Amino acid sequence: MISFDPLARGVQRVTAQALGPYQTAVVRIGFAATWLLFLLRELPHRRELYGPDGPWSWDMARQLISANDAFTALMWSDGRLWFEIVYFLAIVSSALLLVGWRTRTMSVLFMIGVLSLQNRSIFMGDGGDNVIHLMAIYLVFTRCGQVWSLDARRAARARAPQHDHGDRGSLGADGSRAVDDDLHADGGGRVGGGDRVGPALWWVLGLALSVVTFLGELSWFWLLLFWGMWVAHGLWWAAVRRAPDGEARVLLDVVANLAHNAALLVIMVEACLIYATAGWYKIQGSRWQDGTAVYYPLQLDYFSPWPELADLLTSHGVLVMLVTYGTVAVQVAFPFTLFNRRVKNVLLAVMIFEHAVIAVVLGLPFFSLAMIAADAVFLPTSFLRRLGRWVARTRERLLARVPRLSRAEVPQGPPGEEQPRDAAEPARVGFGA
Amino acid sequence: MDRHDKDVGGESAGSDAAPTGSDAVPTGPDAAPTGSGAASAPTGSAAASASADSGAAPAPTGSAAPAPAPADSGAAPARTGIAALSRRSQVVAALVLAVVVATVCVHVGMVFLHVAPSNTVSKEHGRTVDDWIYPEFEQNWKLFAPNPLQQNVAVQVRAQIRTADGTGRTTRWYDLSAQDGAAIDHNLLPSHTQQNELRRGWDFFVSTHDAQNRPTGLRGELSERYIRRMVLLRLHRHEPLARGEAFDQVQVRSRTTAVQPPEWSDEKINGKPVLRVLPWWSVTPGDLPLAGEDRARRDVAVAQNGGVR
Repeated sequence: MISFDPLARGVQRVTAQALGPYQTAVVRIGFAATWLLFLLRELPHRRELYGPDGPWSWDMARQLISANDAFTALMWSDGRLWFEIVYFLAIVSSALLLVGWRTRTMSVLFMIGVLSLQNRSIFMGDGGDNVIHLMAIYLVFTRCGQVWSLDARRAARARAPQHDHGDRGSLGADGSRAVDDDLHADGGGRVGGGDRVGPALWWVLGLALSVVTFLGELSWFWLLLFWGMWVAHGLWWAAVRRAPDGEARVLLDVVANLAHNAALLVIMVEACLIYATAGWYKIQGSRWQDGTAVYYPLQLDYFSPWPELADLLTSHGVLVMLVTYGTVAVQVAFPFTLFNRRVKNVLLAVMIFEHAVIAVVLGLPFFSLAMIAADAVFLPTSFLRRLGRWVARTRERLLARVPRLSRAEVPQGPPGEEQPRDAAEPARVGFGA
Repeated sequence: MDRHDKDVGGESAGSDAAPTGSDAVPTGPDAAPTGSGAASAPTGSAAASASADSGAAPAPTGSAAPAPAPADSGAAPARTGIAALSRRSQVVAALVLAVVVATVCVHVGMVFLHVAPSNTVSKEHGRTVDDWIYPEFEQNWKLFAPNPLQQNVAVQVRAQIRTADGTGRTTRWYDLSAQDGAAIDHNLLPSHTQQNELRRGWDFFVSTHDAQNRPTGLRGELSERYIRRMVLLRLHRHEPLARGEAFDQVQVRSRTTAVQPPEWSDEKINGKPVLRVLPWWSVTPGDLPLAGEDRARRDVAVAQNGGVR
């Protein structure tokens, strides 16, 4: 193996591993949380936004969609009950994707929820919806539940059924890291024996998919994708069951890794394209050239929730110019800084900070959250692990304060974190050079 | 009917008519991956063994070091990756790899051409690009670019209401955008109904109507209906109808005011608002959104069926 040339080594690498487990996990958590919060925030307005009787009525949506074939489950029926069901399922699937329960399956349902609602009322969205839309599709192809997920925890337990928590160090670099499989079908492999939920979910969804197929609502592309996913889950389950280390299982693993790595790459490219487009088009604008651009959005009624703050921020011409030029420079430069880890991290911090400011000052919280979630794909692994440990510690501290009784109800604490066990961690070079 | 005209899920703050001059658009796609993906840390050879703590056939793996043996099962380097496969499976894996690589290249290229300014390639293959991109991968990242919007557009509405005794009354003008603005003020979480609905609906209307306010095609008609439904929904909240009353007609106008240049600038602009007044539109029962407004719907129906002629 050592004599492998670089190409072969690269191929082995992308077939053997699903790269960037922490990055994909944080992207998953970020987008699931953004969409979940958005849906909850719009709960009182859901019917006006997406309901069959909203201003953009079901009938009008149908006329538009018949021209462009966008995917939306909301077009399958104009009933109000159906709408409520879809909205509810969108909430549930985002919550479950967030905690990483049957992650792959939830990522598909999450995508269905996002596309259904957004495509139903295309004129309600903004840039934030747009980025969620794209990432929801890309996430389907990733193994985004390798860490920081209920799946990872379940798999770790199935693999290591020892009772004390003492010797986890031996579990590999860090236990959950090792959870490379897709766990939806059968998390535990042979160790846990019977996972009932996975197969049940598989059958239920297969049945639902059959019904939808029978109704003829899906175009060939979606049929292929959904049935393909379904069959792949079945194969995976069978392969794991028959021979956990068999050829079939390894081959499926290779395919899943390839898809994951490709999707991860596409997610990163997409983020770069967003910044590049935003930056390069700005350069052409006279307001970005004369250094006043940042002043104007803050004067628009629709983007100035805090007029006093906006006035304060724009009271100094030089400051406005610096921010204006800085914004363009950062956006244009970002893709190129990926070649240098240190510079990239600095710019990343700047951009995340700027989005946090935009969230408040321009009144675009969900747009900003979505952009920060997209940025997160470039965060260094070391930072993410530190973040994970910090969250885990905080959680434990909080749980320690909660009386025993309620603690038992929270099964071993909330999911997000399965990590903090890196006693045996090899020094890790971050993600990104 | 044709794809070019699909609507943006994205912010439409920027104009579509971007100057064509930039061949300077960066080659983002290639830049990204190399920098980060490839360089990611070796994921610990130990980890790789994870799924397969196999007793069976310890095949050599490409991941460099032999995995530290898992404590509980006493053995086995990982059996993962293409190197662990038999010849036949390797062929399958290679095929999959080829398909994946091709798909990624095509997709990234298509998205690039979609977001880049119109250029030699996209002029030639615009159709192909659109076929790939629409409807699900459409995107628009001209966020506040090339120039941020520099005017406040206020959409205002008034209605003629037919009263129970057969006469009519005309309401005052309601500034719906001002209401949106007030709702957004000091709001940490503005709703899409406040920030996007009317703003983007009006953009849609403007982009599908000519200067004489005549609709251009199906989309124009859809946008008229959309605006009508939107304003009626709002009106109904402010003009509760008495028994027997019904909306007869509505009129919409927009009032566009340029944002004044900053005080530290010596620029002077004309601050006079520009009005665009649409003709009166008759209201039909189908124009009343949300079933909550059942009563209004019924009222219109009654009026139209000759209850009060």
